[in-house]
Amino acid sequence: MSESILELERVRLQYGPVVAVDDVSVTVGKGEFVTLLGPSGSGKTSTLRLVGGFEHPTGGTIRIAGRPVNGLPANRRDTATIFQSGALFPHKTVAENIAYGLRMRKVPAAEIARRVAEILEIVALPGFEHRYPAEMSGGQRQRVALARSLVVRPSLLLFDEPLSALDLSLKLQLRAEIKRLHAELGFSAVFVTHDQGEALSLSDRVAVMAKGRIEQIDRPDTLYNSPANEFVYTFMGESNRLDVTAAGGAIRDLQGNLLPLSLEDGLAEGAWRLYLRPSRLSLSEHEPVRSNALRCTVSMVEFLGEHFRYHLACNGLRLMCDASAKLGLAEGSEVVASWSTADMRAYR
Amino acid sequence: MTTARGRRTGEALGFWLLLAPSLLLLVLVFATTVAGVVRMSFNGWTPPSFYVEDVVLDHYVRLATDPLIREAALNTVVLALQAALTSVVLAYVMTLIVWLRPRRFRLLVIGLMLCPLLASEISIIFGWWLVLPRNGLLSYMLVGSGLVSEKINLLYTEFAAFLGLVYAILPYSFFILLSVMDRQDRLLLEASADLGASPLSTFREVVLPLTWRGVVLAFSQALIWAFGIYATPSALGPDTLWTMGQRIQEEMIGRANWPLASAIAVAMIAAIALLLVLMRTMEPKERALG
Repeated sequence: MSESILELERVRLQYGPVVAVDDVSVTVGKGEFVTLLGPSGSGKTSTLRLVGGFEHPTGGTIRIAGRPVNGLPANRRDTATIFQSGALFPHKTVAENIAYGLRMRKVPAAEIARRVAEILEIVALPGFEHRYPAEMSGGQRQRVALARSLVVRPSLLLFDEPLSALDLSLKLQLRAEIKRLHAELGFSAVFVTHDQGEALSLSDRVAVMAKGRIEQIDRPDTLYNSPANEFVYTFMGESNRLDVTAAGGAIRDLQGNLLPLSLEDGLAEGAWRLYLRPSRLSLSEHEPVRSNALRCTVSMVEFLGEHFRYHLACNGLRLMCDASAKLGLAEGSEVVASWSTADMRAYR
Repeated sequence: MTTARGRRTGEALGFWLLLAPSLLLLVLVFATTVAGVVRMSFNGWTPPSFYVEDVVLDHYVRLATDPLIREAALNTVVLALQAALTSVVLAYVMTLIVWLRPRRFRLLVIGLMLCPLLASEISIIFGWWLVLPRNGLLSYMLVGSGLVSEKINLLYTEFAAFLGLVYAILPYSFFILLSVMDRQDRLLLEASADLGASPLSTFREVVLPLTWRGVVLAFSQALIWAFGIYATPSALGPDTLWTMGQRIQEEMIGRANWPLASAIAVAMIAAIALLLVLMRTMEPKERALG
């Protein structure tokens, strides 16, 4: 990954007083799969549109394959986008849709036919040449969209939430497909999504965005295990939040109840927000030998297929705990929830 | 027992009941009058009576041979084609603007396009009488802008008839095209550009094919209007410009030859019917466009 395909250098996009993209700098190496992850309005799609040439930055520099492309329109950039809706041409057949980019690049007809057939094999849609998009399922249409972009062999593939409109099983299937294609073909890609699972599963690196800025860019495991800040931690997965105050070496909840918690570095005086993931809690009926343990009452049990989610009440605090089915705790049961200090994060 | 067939019969009955009032009106007002006109066109003519009950083909023979009628037919077809083509091109450009530009343009252009529909044809003609003559608005504007050095008269010219026709039929073309254009996904333009197509290629490959149906519809509609409008070309065009509409009026009122006037009318209706059939064959095959 010595050679970089895409470089964004302090890129900015501003509409009047609204800053959509705020000094974003990121580099994508050759063959690298980078995901922009963020909630809606975080600037991830705007950033992608800047790279694709559908918007033009009000500041900074964009380079594709070493060449500055600021001001270059979309049709003269060596990128290809897979849109959320697929954006297939409804009046053209699958083969015509896929051939479109090649025709625009004046590729000879014989080679177009060969490459269209080849790419249909790759995306597992052989025999679909003469279908119209309306005659296909959503998943098949998205495969065609993928083929239409892949076939022109762009320097950089841009994915604009391509899986968001699909139902769950199809989404997982196509996600695996994209991962397989990336491993086989080695394309460079920028993938935009608001789905943490997609980002973690597909990417070499993930950039978490909020309010037009990149909060953290790292490998998926680093991002998940060592989030740079509170936003990244909470966005990467569900969490329990405990609002506490630290005073005189003691930690109390907002009602003033003493909480037997211990943090690695202790807490400075003042108000804190403590977080921990529901999967990191364990429940037992007896006092465990752990430093962080709270006596709770089970207030609700949700069955979520893979596990049960126990909603717990502990004085004024509310906790969620994901545990396997075996516990079989009924609502109203008294339990002790405990966790290890390393799983807890404190922000103020 | 309420069977599926029973339900279907009920649905069919409901369908015809709902359709009945408009169907009845259509038969009463339109079918009977057209039938009357067709019948009239076969009557004989012996002045000074308007017509004589008879069944003759004289008037259709005259239709094919009379050079005056042939000239009027030619004038009408040429004028209608020019006006329809111009209106469709103008309307296409405007709908593209409305479709691609921000919403405030949309309201402005739609408002402008509604204006001609709010005034009657006659009051619009009065308007043209203020705009087109030597001492009219347009003349002053042209002199004022330095485009021409002397005041010019445009009233009672073929251009005036053409202009009046285009103005009258433009809104119809516009709204038909807009309804078709609005149904298209603008993201397709980005997808096209993204795949390397220039704006011109995108227009040729994506926009035009997807809206072609609207173009054909708008053109046939415009042509029918332009064909049938009588007052505008007669009030704005030169005395030498005879259209079929004027011919009918002349035969009907000027010469009291009702059968011939009817034969001309029947020929026009037949021409329009033929045109509609022709246009249908030009429409793209209905594909499953979902």
